[in-house]
Order: sequence, then C-alpha cells, then structure tokens
Amino acid sequence: MNNWKLKEIVVMSVLSVVFAVVYLAFLPVGKILVGFFGPIGYDLIFGIWFIVSIITAYIIRKPGAAFLSETIAAAVEVLLGNAVGPMLLVSGMIQGLGAESAFAMTRYKRYDLFTLMLAGVMAAVFSFVWGYFLSGFAALSTGYVLAMFIARIISGAIISGVAGKVLSDALAKTGVLSSFALGKEYRRKRAA
Amino acid sequence: MFLHNVNPTVKALTIIGTVFLLAFVFDPVTPVLYIVWTVIVTFLFGTFKKRYYLYYFIPFTLFAFGMFWTTIVFSDTASGTTGTVSFLGMEFPTEDIWTAAALGLRVLAFASLSLLFLFTTNMVHFILSLIQQLKLPPKIAYGVMAGYRFLPMLKTEFQQIRAAHRIRGVNRPDSWKEKLLQYQRFAIPLLAGAIRKAERTAIAMESKGFTGAKERTFYRPMKVRRKDWLFPVMMFGMLGVTIAFSLYFGYFSWYDGQL
Amino acid sequence: MSQDVIRVENLTLHYEERKKPVLSRLNFSMEEGENMLILGPSGSGKSSLTHCLNGLYPRELDGSMDGEVYVQGRRTVSYPAGEMAQHVGVVFQDPETQFCMITVEDEVAFGLENLNTPYESMVEKVEKALSWVGMEDYKNISDLSGGQKQKVALACILAMEPEVLILDEPTANLDPVARKEFIQLLKKLKEELSFTLLVIEHKLEGWLDLLERVLIISEEGELAYDGPLHDHLKTYAREIHEMGIQLPYATRTALERGWTPPYPLHIEKMPSADLPANPHREEPAGEVLLKAEDVHWKSILRNINVTFHEGEWVAIVGENGSGKSSLSRILAGIQPPGKGTVSLHGRSLKKWKENDLRQEIGYVFQNPEHQFITDAVYDEVAFSLQHAGMKEAEWTRIVEETLKFCRLDGLEDQHPFLLSQGQKRRLSVATMIVEDQGMLFLDEPTFGQDEKSTSDLMSLLKEKHENGTTIVMITHDMELVDKYATKVLVMNEGEITFDGQPERLWSRSDLADHHLELPPREQWKRSVLKRKEPAYVSS
Repeated sequence: MNNWKLKEIVVMSVLSVVFAVVYLAFLPVGKILVGFFGPIGYDLIFGIWFIVSIITAYIIRKPGAAFLSETIAAAVEVLLGNAVGPMLLVSGMIQGLGAESAFAMTRYKRYDLFTLMLAGVMAAVFSFVWGYFLSGFAALSTGYVLAMFIARIISGAIISGVAGKVLSDALAKTGVLSSFALGKEYRRKRAA
Repeated sequence: MFLHNVNPTVKALTIIGTVFLLAFVFDPVTPVLYIVWTVIVTFLFGTFKKRYYLYYFIPFTLFAFGMFWTTIVFSDTASGTTGTVSFLGMEFPTEDIWTAAALGLRVLAFASLSLLFLFTTNMVHFILSLIQQLKLPPKIAYGVMAGYRFLPMLKTEFQQIRAAHRIRGVNRPDSWKEKLLQYQRFAIPLLAGAIRKAERTAIAMESKGFTGAKERTFYRPMKVRRKDWLFPVMMFGMLGVTIAFSLYFGYFSWYDGQL
Repeated sequence: MSQDVIRVENLTLHYEERKKPVLSRLNFSMEEGENMLILGPSGSGKSSLTHCLNGLYPRELDGSMDGEVYVQGRRTVSYPAGEMAQHVGVVFQDPETQFCMITVEDEVAFGLENLNTPYESMVEKVEKALSWVGMEDYKNISDLSGGQKQKVALACILAMEPEVLILDEPTANLDPVARKEFIQLLKKLKEELSFTLLVIEHKLEGWLDLLERVLIISEEGELAYDGPLHDHLKTYAREIHEMGIQLPYATRTALERGWTPPYPLHIEKMPSADLPANPHREEPAGEVLLKAEDVHWKSILRNINVTFHEGEWVAIVGENGSGKSSLSRILAGIQPPGKGTVSLHGRSLKKWKENDLRQEIGYVFQNPEHQFITDAVYDEVAFSLQHAGMKEAEWTRIVEETLKFCRLDGLEDQHPFLLSQGQKRRLSVATMIVEDQGMLFLDEPTFGQDEKSTSDLMSLLKEKHENGTTIVMITHDMELVDKYATKVLVMNEGEITFDGQPERLWSRSDLADHHLELPPREQWKRSVLKRKEPAYVSS
C-alpha cells in the first residue's frame, strides 16, 4: 500500500462510491430482465457489476486497484442497504480478485483492450463459481447453467471490459486524469 | 442503547459469522426462527426510527419472494419423489418448494442481520474501529471515509447534470447507440468533477499532516471491552438454540450438496 | 531579532505537461509575524507556490522543482512527510473539498491525530480552535454554508498551531457577505494569536486593511513586485489592473475616470466631485413574456407571483438557500411547479413541447461543465442545430457566427473541459444562444470568474440584451445588479420579498437582513452625503 499516493486512494474510493450507486441502480434492471428471461437475466448485464475494478485498474495501474475498488464498492453497497446484505461484501471481493488476476497475469504491465476484457472475463468466472455455491444454481438444469455462464462471460468482456475502457478513455480526454497513469499515457501519446 | 455501544468490529464480525453459518442451513424453519430473534433484538436493544426499518425491510421481502419464486419455476425437476404441493393454482414438487422457501428465507435472515448492523452503527466509528482493532491501514480507511463523504454531493451533481442535459435536449434518446452515448455523456461530467474534487481533498488531507502512517493518536479511541463479548455470545448462542430446536423437531437440513 | 520564517531562493517550477515554467526564479522571504499578500492573475502559479511552501512539492510533483525553499531555516525537502503541517498550514479555496470526516469536531481532531497529539490535550485544542472561529455549536459539516465551512477549515489549521498560515483564495467561492465575515474573523484572530499570514488572491477588495506587504507574480510566473501594498497600489494601479488582478472599486473607478495618482483605495476616499448619476433604466416597454401565478414548490417556494416583460434584464438576489435557483428552474420550465402555473406568451409551460420551449428559453447553469455533452467546442455549439434538422450550410454559418460572438473562434477542436474558466462559461452561454432564444436565464454567471472573464461575459450579455434578448440572472454581485438590471427580485425563505427597480431596493433599510449589501456606487454616494453632514453627528 505504500507505493500508492493518497490522491490515488481517494480517487479510487470516490470511483467506488459512484459505482456502488450505479450497481444498486442496476439491480432493478436485472430484476426486470429476470422477469423476462429467468435467472439468466442477471447474467446478461452482470458485467456492469465488475466495471469499477476495470476502470480503476486501468486509470491507476497499481497492484490491488481492481480488488480494492470492487471491495470498497461492495462495502458501500452494503452500507447503503443492499438486498443481499453482508454476503455481498464477499461477492465483491471475489469479483475483484477475478479482475485482479487478469492484471496480475500481465504482471501489471499491459493495459490494452485485451487485458481489460480478460479482466472482465476473469471476474465473471470467479463470480460464477462463487454464485454456483451461494445462490443454488445447481438446482437449475445443466444446459441452462451453461448458458448463464456464457452470458456472464460475454457480459463481463463487453460491458466491463469494452465499456469500461471507452468510459475511461473519454474521461482521460477531459484532462482530469493528468496526474494518474492513464492520463500520463494519454499525454505521451498526444505529444508523440 | 446496548447495541449502539457494542464495539463495531465485534458487531460486524459477529454478523458475518452468523451469516456464514446460516448460509449452510438448507431448511426454512431455522432461518424463520432466527429472523424473529434478530428483529426482536434489533427493536429491543436499538434506538432508531422504526418507520425507516420498515422502508428498508420491505424491498428485502420482495427480493426474498423473487428468489423463492425463480427457484421454484426454474429448478431441476428430476428429483421429484416426495409428492407435490399446489401453490397459486399450480402443482410443484414438495421438495422444490421446501428448498425455495429455504433460499428465500435465508436471504431475509441475511437482511435482518445486516439491518441490525446498519441501524445501530455509526459508520465513522466502524471505520475507526477497523483501524484500531483490525489494523486496517489508515491510508485506505481515511481515503475511503473521504470518498464516502462525497455521496450527498454526488447526488446534487447528478440532479444538476440531468437538468442541464434536459436543457440541451439530450434526454430523449431515439436509438440504442444514442442511449449508450447518453450514459457516457452523463458519466463524464459527474466523474470528472468527482475526480478533481477527490484530488483536492487528498491534497488538503496531506497538508494537514496526514501521511497514512500507522502510528497515530485517536480522538475517538475504540476499545473492545469485556461487555462487548455479550453480543457474539448472544447471537451465536441463539443460532445454536435455533438449530437445536429445528433438529429436535426434525426440520433441520444441512448443506450436503443438494444444490 | 526576528528570523526568516520562510525563505525562497531561485524557485523555478516546471510541470511535466507544460513547456513554460509555472514559477520562474522566485526570490523572497518572510519574517515572523509578517502579513503578506500574493497577487497574480489566474494561471500565474500562485497555488503551485502554496504547494512548494508546505512541502507537498516536490514530493507530489509531476515535473521539476529547482531552487530552495526554507521554512524556519530548514529546507522543506529535509522535513519528514507530515511534520511540515506543524509549521505551515493551508486553507484552500474550495469549501467542499477540505474535509474527510463527517463532524466538525472530528475534522479538527484529524489534523491533531496526524501530529500524534495525546488524547487529553487534543480535546482541549479542538475546543479552543472552534471557539476562535465561533463554530463550537455546529455538528455536521454537510449542514454548513460555504462561509462556515471555510471557518471550520481555518479552525482545523489553527488547532495545529503552525507558525505560518497560508490562505489560498479562501473567499473565492463565498458570497460577498460571507467573504466580508471571513476577512473580519481573520482580522480578529490576527490580534489574538500570533502567526505569519500569507494570503493568495486575485481579488483585492477587503484585504487592504489586513495586509501590509504585497508580492506580485506575473503571468509568466516571475516576481513583478515585492514591497508595501498601499503605496504601490496608489501609484501603479493601472499596471496591476492590466495583469488581470481585480482592484477595489475605488481604484478601479479612478482608472476608468482617468483620475491622477495617488489613486483612492477605499470608497470613503473617493472624491465627491465625480459622483455618477443613477444609471438610466428603461421601463419595460415590451409585452408580457413570462408569467408565474401562485407558484409553490415543495417547501422551498411559496406564493410566487411575478411577471417578466420582453426586453427586461432581471436580477434575482438573496441569501444562499433562499430558493433563487429553484425559482429560476421552474420559470425556465426545467422543473414543473408543485402548484400554480407558469406561462410563456400566455400559454402554460405544460402545454409547450419540450423542443419548442428550448428554442424560446435558454438556461446557463452555474457549473458550465454540467452542460457539456460532446468532446469538442465546435460540436458543442452545433449540437442543438444539428438535431433541429437544419441544413448544413445554414448551421455551419450560425455556429461560426456564435463562436465568434462568444470569442471562442480558434478553439473549435478543443475539448470543452480543457478550456479556461472564462472560456467554459462563454461556451455554455454560446450553446444557449445559438438557437436565438428570446429569453436567457443565468445562474451566477460570474461566480468564480476573474475580472477579465467577468467583463467579457457581461459585455457579451449586454450586446445580446440590446438586440432584444430578455435576461434573468441570479447573482450576488450588487455592482452588476446596479449596472445592468432593469428590475430586481429579492428572494427570502422561498418568497419574493421585493420586486422593482434597483433604486427602490437601495433605499430600503433592511438589506442586511437579506444578506445583501449596497452596490459600491451607492456606497460612494452615501459617503459623499455623509461628508456633507454637519459635524455634530458623532461617528
């Protein structure tokens, strides 16, 4: 934690707070989708719930960014009164670990689209395995569970990976990230 | 009141511990009993506006029912050997109903436990206690606290951006692409403002001599006192009693890979 | 013998992203107990200097810092992180971003905890610091006004008992009354406590009585002047003004009128001879444009009945939280009223189609960034025209004209967020006049703007007004009200308590109750009248 600057930590926590609210706002959306498609409804948009880990890691680029931001977001969700309660904290940590694992695989060197999508996929895989035990997916038919799994992976890659990158890049253009890793990279690219 | 004075870390660990144990219980009776117990404890030993408790509790109930319903409808019907139950004019295997009720009520038990915590804990005290009892690094703890303070500010910002966009005539997206773009348009000013403010806050904190060092004195010392242990003893003890009760009457079922 | 508390030698500061230095070969020192003002136009690196003095730079700097900064005779780089807070304390500009705790008490204690102050003395110090600034009876920071937050920020620093107190544009985000109060408080503290005071500002009004010495930094970050404040100002006001520093009203007027130096610094010193007549205000000759009848909204607005005529320039004034913004939003049709009706051209706003309404009424929000939706200046202005289905040849012409009118030509490809404060403001105005809206609402358009951008903006609005646009503007600046408005509305606790010509408002005796002050021109007039009064009136 010592190589983190305080401003990086505060920015990370603010991002987590913002997205905790976004996460809560998307729960009813998920519920509507579940109404239409059954439990797989959540999986279609599940990627939204990993997005802060990818955005934060992409902006700050330090070990722990993905894990911590997702954990803080989950904690804030719990504090705001999420319907799942304290268990959500564990889910958040597991999703964060999933995303973190992708960045760790590149030794925190690569932050291209592929890595970000991979982070989304890993978060999806980790969270699915956890959800399998926690929420009783096993009660569902195998084919259905497989479909859920695939939906969640795609959602993780697209919504959190691709959309997370697009959003962060748009943010870099505003200049507010100039003292963070992504902003610096953006400046170097423009200068070149 | 008693619950407000329990050390927040002890309280949180107790809640997490009971939630963890309840996650392995697969019958509906144990959670029902434990919900009743938790709610009674909350109301008896906590002071808060009771009305708000209901506001929070109702959505949980809906969520729990949703869980119950989807589990019934989408569950694997292979095992149906124990007969059927008629529910809302449809026939379902008893076993499925039983499992579905267990899952739904478990959610509700989690909810009542987390509400106990939320309604009787000061968040700043909780974070201070995490630093002092669980050695959470102050850099993270105070960073998070600073971020958490932004919540009300973000709410006003959000409303302002919405109104400002309305004036620009962007609030009625007519295509998918336009809709996605709109999310981004919304997010950028909100996040940009928040990041700038976060950076300034960090500078202000450092200017007040904050380094994130572990050695610091506390204006609000958080201690674990002997009487704090009463809470975990009570909560875990009652969980034991409930399980014993269910076992005695033959309802109890433990996780053994049925899901 | 007094020792230098601060000594700066050859300080040059470069940011990674900029070629030119922010600060360039700066040399100065401060003795114990001295009071100094640092003046400079926006962008002259004044705030960067703060970071150099309190040791944040070079530690947190993306760039390079050359030269030496000594605090209490010791180089800032040789202090361990955190220790500097015992010597140099800073109150920053933005009241919203100086806190990390929920309650006032905890926030003051936060600094003391950082310094490892033992628990017993901490309690006492917190109490003492809060009583100095008169904030001991407040609990949650989020319930405080901007002025109160700045007082708490000051208490946080005072509690740590630093030898040097730096105030970095501490009143830039406050309304004039809160600003006065804050400066008054400092004066009092300066008498009670001993500290070296360094104030950074781009606005001189109010500080003259407190600070004796001034350091002027040019736009290039170089030292332009270091010496006594009053004498310099009396002679070189024009040079200072041209750097983009806002002078006190008396001095500014002297320059405008071409008086000869020494220039007056206070309104009381302004000559009686050159007193201007009341500004000419046209009676509303136009037709009724917008009318609110018996409007109520939540518990924020009550019994609103008001009429706007074509060609008026209406100023809405009143304390923060009195409902000014809510009122303007309801009038502009952004927020439907809870009860009552607002009608435009005799037709209720409810019956207007959103798109048609937007072509009639524009609204400029307080924070320009909130209104930006594209990532280039040109697209920003073109947006609504493109969506209105206009021919390309036509909208490109209008966009170019509007950009030119708002002096934004040449910035077409810039990202709106990267513009200067003044440019951002003008861009937000541009987006709201591009469809030639007949009515324009502005929420504190000059808030946080320096003098140059304020005057640019006002002349732009004036031209719009002369071409027939009806303007409604929320403001705290009574000078602007006096200069431009044909009508004033005073809001107080959700009600309109005054509706009429500015002159009638100035003659009322209860202005202070509404957190309002007289415009400087009127103060001048009164001071002249007072001078003529017989001598038996005791002062």
